[in-house]
Amino acid sequence: MALLPADFAALETWAQDWALPTQNQRWDKRLASSSAALDAFYQALLPWLEAILAHADQFELGALPAPSARLFDLALMHAEVAPHVELYKSSPKVPHSFEERRFIGVHGNTRH
Amino acid sequence: MNTVTPRRWAHTYPWLGEEPLPTAPYTSPAFYQAEVEHVFKKVWLCLGRVEELPTPGSYKLKRLDFASTSVLAIHGRDGVIRAFHNTCSHRGNSVVVAEGDWDQCGRKQAFTCRFHAWSYSDRGELLGVLEPQGMPACFDKTQHGLTPIACATWEGFVFINLAAEPRVSLADFLGDMGHHFAAYPYHELTQNFTYHTVLNCNWKVGVDAFAEAYHVTTIHAGSFPGTFSTGLQMVKLLGDHRTTAVCFDPPRESPPVAKLAQSKARGSLVNQVAGSSLPPTLNDEQRNDYAFELSVFFPHWLLHVAEGIWFTHQFWPLGHDRCLWEGKYYVKPPRTHSERWAQEHAIVLQRNAWLEDTATMEGTHYALASGAKPYMQLHDEEVLVRHGHHVLNQYLPASQAR
Repeated sequence: MALLPADFAALETWAQDWALPTQNQRWDKRLASSSAALDAFYQALLPWLEAILAHADQFELGALPAPSARLFDLALMHAEVAPHVELYKSSPKVPHSFEERRFIGVHGNTRH
Repeated sequence: MNTVTPRRWAHTYPWLGEEPLPTAPYTSPAFYQAEVEHVFKKVWLCLGRVEELPTPGSYKLKRLDFASTSVLAIHGRDGVIRAFHNTCSHRGNSVVVAEGDWDQCGRKQAFTCRFHAWSYSDRGELLGVLEPQGMPACFDKTQHGLTPIACATWEGFVFINLAAEPRVSLADFLGDMGHHFAAYPYHELTQNFTYHTVLNCNWKVGVDAFAEAYHVTTIHAGSFPGTFSTGLQMVKLLGDHRTTAVCFDPPRESPPVAKLAQSKARGSLVNQVAGSSLPPTLNDEQRNDYAFELSVFFPHWLLHVAEGIWFTHQFWPLGHDRCLWEGKYYVKPPRTHSERWAQEHAIVLQRNAWLEDTATMEGTHYALASGAKPYMQLHDEEVLVRHGHHVLNQYLPASQAR
């Protein structure tokens, strides 16, 4: 069964593992991914990003139907990954950083 | 970019001197005890925002381990926010039970101690005791409310002072600094992202690391490459507090996702935008490369403001070698999903920059604790660090001052 809106069927392969609704989940996913996986995800989503945001903006904030919410979660995952590809040579960790998961994000378990 | 003019702050503020700073204040347990007694238990400390206690009956509970107490701030039905020690008048139990080891906000009709159900009003008055006929005949309820803590607000920030009688009012404590940072729309930029952690370092190691831009080309080579200038501008030493402008290096082309995020919402410090939310006291030289204001409110609270963004750091002491760091980032509440997405990109990048900043702190403390370096050598662009030590010494008795 399709997880994403029909127009975004090309991204279905990413929906199962990369559409994560909280910042903590996205953070853990990025840390646990290889550089190659981060690169592949970044490149796969990049051409779709503006279309995803335009799609999500058809709905009131916080009122996305489930397939659209998954699609938006992919875009948020991409925001988590983008600095690593664009700035950190695809390192899964922030280079020269404090132990990442000792930071507690108060908003970390909030959906979206 | 190197924008440093030789020793200009030493020339501007000659009374601060140019001597090396002693390192013992970072590592000495006795010095820490003096700081607690003469500074943290005596001066006004920022406890939070009025938005955390939005309605009558709402409260914020915060542990202050350096003072072995918890502060209970309550929004009264008369609209006044008051603060109390969270300690029952009966046998001293915590009235509001902390559910975690960090701040707790909520709302209550009355504040009832679980131990024996003594209950208190939103003004801290003792409302009732269980089986009152068992109390001594002379027991006077009106004399046994919660113990108050001095509390005042400035621009929607709630401050407390643990001294029984604060030496100065909050307004006088803030002085020109309060004026400098007034009239910024803090109350409109309420979309908040907060991170916290316990750091194994002295609280001043943390404050100092954020109180200069000399580190931006090294520490932030990852997250903010070629973005900000190391040289400070418009440094102002205002009473016990200090502030400066941090400016942009010449703009560069942003990578694609960063560029898209910047086009969707104001969320990141990295980009220059036109705007007018800054009060006229900021960027009074009207520099067109102005990025943000970096400030330290004595002793341990840093407030940064920029067009459409403000953020704070606070380092709560837990001992001479431990502190609780809290980083809070605020932007406008998003109206659309694309704005929310752009803010996510911004806060993730900012979090990563803070991970770069905090990376040095425990290592700095560990190395200082070796005693290998009795003094640290400061650069002219670390004038805010120097001023911090200068002010701190003024609060300490001569036997402790360094």
